[in-house]
Amino acid sequence: MSVFLAILLGLAMGAVFGVALEKSRVFEPGVIVGQMQLRNFLMLKMFLTAVATSLVAVAALHGFGLVALHPKPTMYLADVSGGGLLGVGVTLAGACPGTVAAQIGAGYRDAWFTLLGGLAGAVAFTYAEPVLRPVLLTGPGAMTLDLLVGIPFWQLALGLAALLAVVLMILEYRRPWRGEAGAAADGLLPEPLPRPVPAGGLAARRTV
Amino acid sequence: MPSLKDPTWSPYFAGVLIGLLQIPAFLLLNTALGTSSSYVTVGASLADLADPAVRTIPYAAKHLDGATNWWQVALVGGIALGALASSLRSGMRRRGVSPVWARALGTNSRLARFALAFAAGFVMLLGARIADGCTSGHGLSGIAQLAVASFIAVPAMFAGGIATALLLLRCV
Repeated sequence: MSVFLAILLGLAMGAVFGVALEKSRVFEPGVIVGQMQLRNFLMLKMFLTAVATSLVAVAALHGFGLVALHPKPTMYLADVSGGGLLGVGVTLAGACPGTVAAQIGAGYRDAWFTLLGGLAGAVAFTYAEPVLRPVLLTGPGAMTLDLLVGIPFWQLALGLAALLAVVLMILEYRRPWRGEAGAAADGLLPEPLPRPVPAGGLAARRTV
Repeated sequence: MPSLKDPTWSPYFAGVLIGLLQIPAFLLLNTALGTSSSYVTVGASLADLADPAVRTIPYAAKHLDGATNWWQVALVGGIALGALASSLRSGMRRRGVSPVWARALGTNSRLARFALAFAAGFVMLLGARIADGCTSGHGLSGIAQLAVASFIAVPAMFAGGIATALLLLRCV
């Protein structure tokens, strides 16, 4: 595919992605931070639904022999440390690398700084990559669970999707999604105890 | 039927829509959904202007050119356009900084929030590139391909995120 067509396709697919992130309110910093504080489960509901749908889609495409898989290589140290750092960044940014763009589109100003910081982080990694490669970015290569446990890919993928569907049904039964984003749909929920917010930077968790 | 004029959609409907995007990604581009390597494509292209030697780094060269790299940059740009259109249509435009930050950080300072956002973006992409994927690439696509790497990286991400949110931020 030509670069021009690929860009058109990317814009169209991104527009669907952006609408879904904005409408589900999962792009809201309040929803993302609320999820990480285990007070709001909109993000997990949307995320696990997208994972389950992806599992079914990939199981069908791969099961009928239409596409090859592209699993990322296993790098134990890098997966743990990189994943951990990513999580720290997601919480403090109130965004992930994709939702930053939705925040910019919806109008949040601070998201421009998250984007700039992200570009700087990507450039810093690029220059550091040759040094990191031998010590951190190594491992046994691509591994997938279906080969490890010896079950055909499509069966394990559909089984996991079914398991996620059950988890989501239990989650929805216990915590209905309606109203979870709050009155202004920004993830800001009524404060447990109204009290003036003291000045200061990052502070310890409020004890109620 | 959900309408663009609605302020909110069910997270389940939105999740299905996003998951279905894997189909054109796999069929038309022979790749899976992801967003964080686009930061390398754009960042390395900018670095290339000041320092053409960046092209000698194989990792940069791998991300600089080609349809798949620029497809992902366009995907992230499209996310911004989709959110813009969606928020305009529903009258849900956002201004300034989310009110959640005054509560989470205990300060109304714009400067503090902007500085934290920059630092957080840096750590976020550094981590995503070390792990070779983010919430989309590992979270959606890696899990969907039953990749062992993603079953390690995604729990690590939530562990790092939850620890940070409980230890450093106030309740939102």
